[in-house]
Amino acid sequence: MASLYLAAASLPLGAQQASESQVQAAAGPRLEQWAALRERKAEQLRPPERSGIEKFLYNFRERRVMERFAAGWNGFHPKFGGMHTGSGFAAGPEYRRERLLGGVLDFRVSGALSTKRYEKFEFQIGMPRLLNEHLFLDFAATSRNYPREPFYGLGPKSLKKDRTSFRLEDTTYLGTFGVRWRRWLSTGIRGGIIASNTGRGKDPRFPSTERLFHSADAPALDAQPDHYRFGAFAHVDYRDQPGNPRSGGNYILQWNTFGDRSQSLYSFRRYEAELQQYVPFFNRRRVIAFRAKSSLTDTSPGQTVPFYMQETVGGSEDLRGFREFRFRDRNLMAYNLEYRWEVFSGLDMALFGDAGKVFSDRSDFNLERLEGAYGIGLRFNQEKAVFLRIDVGKSREGVRVFFKFGHVF
Amino acid sequence: MRRLMLPLLVILGATPSVSQKFVADDPVRTDPDNRNIPTPKPYKLTDYYDFIQNSFGSPGDRVRRTAVNINTLGEVPDSSWFTNRHGRRRMSLEELARGPDRGSGPQTPLKVLRAKTEGITPGLLVEDARGDRYLVKFDPPGHLDMATSADVIGAKFLYAMGYDVPENYIFYLLPEHCHLGRGAIVTDVLGKQRKMDTRDTQELLNRVARTADGRCRAIASKIVEGEPMGPFRYYGARPDDPNDVFPHEHRRELRGLRVFAAWLNHDDSRAINTLDMLVKENGRQFLRHHLIDFGSILGSGSEYEQKPRAGNEYMWEPGITFRRMLTFGLWDRGWILVRYPAFPSIGRIEADYFEPEKWKPEYPNPAFLNCLPEDAYWAARIVMSFTDEGIRAIVKTGRITDPRAEEYLIQTIIRRRDKAGRYWLTQISSVDNFRVDDAGLVHFEDLAVRYGFAKTPPGYEASWYLYDNQNNRRTPLGEAARDVLSPLTVPEQVRNGPEGAYFGFELRSRSEGTPQQPKAVHSYFRRKQGRLELVGVERDQ
Repeated sequence: MASLYLAAASLPLGAQQASESQVQAAAGPRLEQWAALRERKAEQLRPPERSGIEKFLYNFRERRVMERFAAGWNGFHPKFGGMHTGSGFAAGPEYRRERLLGGVLDFRVSGALSTKRYEKFEFQIGMPRLLNEHLFLDFAATSRNYPREPFYGLGPKSLKKDRTSFRLEDTTYLGTFGVRWRRWLSTGIRGGIIASNTGRGKDPRFPSTERLFHSADAPALDAQPDHYRFGAFAHVDYRDQPGNPRSGGNYILQWNTFGDRSQSLYSFRRYEAELQQYVPFFNRRRVIAFRAKSSLTDTSPGQTVPFYMQETVGGSEDLRGFREFRFRDRNLMAYNLEYRWEVFSGLDMALFGDAGKVFSDRSDFNLERLEGAYGIGLRFNQEKAVFLRIDVGKSREGVRVFFKFGHVF
Repeated sequence: MRRLMLPLLVILGATPSVSQKFVADDPVRTDPDNRNIPTPKPYKLTDYYDFIQNSFGSPGDRVRRTAVNINTLGEVPDSSWFTNRHGRRRMSLEELARGPDRGSGPQTPLKVLRAKTEGITPGLLVEDARGDRYLVKFDPPGHLDMATSADVIGAKFLYAMGYDVPENYIFYLLPEHCHLGRGAIVTDVLGKQRKMDTRDTQELLNRVARTADGRCRAIASKIVEGEPMGPFRYYGARPDDPNDVFPHEHRRELRGLRVFAAWLNHDDSRAINTLDMLVKENGRQFLRHHLIDFGSILGSGSEYEQKPRAGNEYMWEPGITFRRMLTFGLWDRGWILVRYPAFPSIGRIEADYFEPEKWKPEYPNPAFLNCLPEDAYWAARIVMSFTDEGIRAIVKTGRITDPRAEEYLIQTIIRRRDKAGRYWLTQISSVDNFRVDDAGLVHFEDLAVRYGFAKTPPGYEASWYLYDNQNNRRTPLGEAARDVLSPLTVPEQVRNGPEGAYFGFELRSRSEGTPQQPKAVHSYFRRKQGRLELVGVERDQ
């Protein structure tokens, strides 16, 4: 509020009330000594000066560099990250406008290119605050060109040495309509179309996927279908601060059906559940965070799931200690347990243990033969959100280090 | 080690007769630091720099020395920094409740002049129907009463202690109470200013806590008189103010503020929450120094409940940080186990874990770091001058709507007061309030005993001496008297001593069972116009 005080200085003051007069003390030796000090100082007055670092920080603050960075320029913002680990450092422009048309419409378009030539373009237009924030409507289009996607083969027994790479190009159009019943409860439906293409992988360290695998091992490797999708979801979210939760829970249930529009060979249904729970203790300076997630895929006879649309575990989001997308199959289950502790107000640390697996047959939906990883992480946060995460995970396949913008869960 | 309470002249290189402990006008009661000054240059401090400089540097003079702006009694003279109020003369309950307020608060309708939209809790600069200007602040959502009551209560305590603070008024605001002034502007998060419209007011009020009937509870902080010249720092002195000659880190009222801040959990006591105002009086202009913004005091963190860390740990403490890192969080400070009652209207404050000597603000404060037991003693005397009823009277002005929360807050402040008093009044001799009456009796009082922090000793060891003020020599007057209590008869040589003579009175007390050397207090009397007047007090450290 000091800033408003200073702002007030630039305004003409109204009638000023005389304050209590300070009593002028009768001068004596002690006061004469003090007066002498003041006389001496009066001869050496100089304006307050700022040191170099203070000038820098003053200008940094006054010019609101951080705020400008966050706010962008006329709706344009720099965008960093947004692609998965292994894609290299990604950056690009984003144009974003919020609360258009009387505050109801948000709009966003962005493009990003990574150091490994991954490309991603997004367009989104939405009305997230309809009917006093009880309804939300959203349309998004995303185009990706990922030239070095890893593929190790399907199933939990795929080998690290079989790593190949493929190019994934897809364009997704997706519409969402939802009802926010309560602040913490929403449900909705989604529908859209997906056009996909795969091609020769460009990772020079590994062979291209088609050199090691065939359509039998990697469905839809030779011909990629387009899909329509339709589904519904329910979402309960009562986390205290979603960017760095310390208490509460987050539960998501989704059902989606993907229909092959071109070949009628690759239609499937997917059922997903994710549960996150946060248990704080010691004045919320410690948190036990738990996540369980599972995805089950169902197909009709004669149908299968394209390999690039199958579920994956491994990497920065679930099995830290394994490479990104290390395991891939029709179904997955993953569990993460973290003990988080606050080191100081700008940094939390975490010890974590991960377990998970992929599987093709639903009879394997059990806790047997889970892959495991464990490790330690640093979470740099500001206000109520993690802005940078460094996780070091160890598994039977070695040690992996992940640098990520944003939180894990 | 005994420390003289007046090394000011030595420190600052003045040229008095340094061997002379007392001069004719001692003890000075007023520091006339209101001489006319040239208009200083407004100065703005950035909170980033203040944090970095104080967290990673060591600004100011950290030499352990007695405060430099005190009189020979160890008191802080009235000045543009501090006015002795409750500590010198007990204010009535009505005076305590009124505090700095000279009016009744803003009178609607309010004309909005400016708005601050940055931050979680926004603010308005308004002009009321009388033409008075106020900063209007609100409670954060979910914490009705919290920040506004803290701001009012904090201002009233600090005013009674002796600081200059704004007049803060709680009031309830409806959007229809406000209209936009001509040229009203709003400053957005980027610092851009634009013309304000009614939607801005509505949006702003949508982001603050409201009562069940839809009103916004607000605090109106009256713009203090004068022209703002920026904050003062807790070290050094302002180079363009000739009145500012005492290094701030050696000013007793700023050192002692540590005790007040600890008592009231004012963890936001940093330079950014101070303000120098250029005021004009009687044809002179000079700076008056204010403490402002008490939204983060008691259990309020202004925009949220006070964090459990507040008061217990700096934002950045490398030793603690690395210990937590290396022990995987198995080691930590005790405050993480503290439990707080759930009172959203007052936030988080408690008295069980509170240790006044270990309390810390958000980041190091040079004046607080220089706070010596004698500074803290001075402050603790003032803290203890607030009775239970006085505390209750002040807290009531916060108009906390939940009576259970209000009572908890009152009891917590009382218990924290007692903890602060118990600790700081027992670090050095707390024998005080010396006076000689017309019957020739010297009276004194042990404050630690008075407040129940120590048992009444069986007696004190008292001795008188003639004090040679020119040469700092003492000549004992008879044998020391043992096991004496107040009042004591003043010896004949003292009562009938020559005009202008100085006499010292040394009093030692030994608490039962304490093995250490008893701590002494020396009081000095000057014979003037046939009476003995108290001119100095020194306490052994």
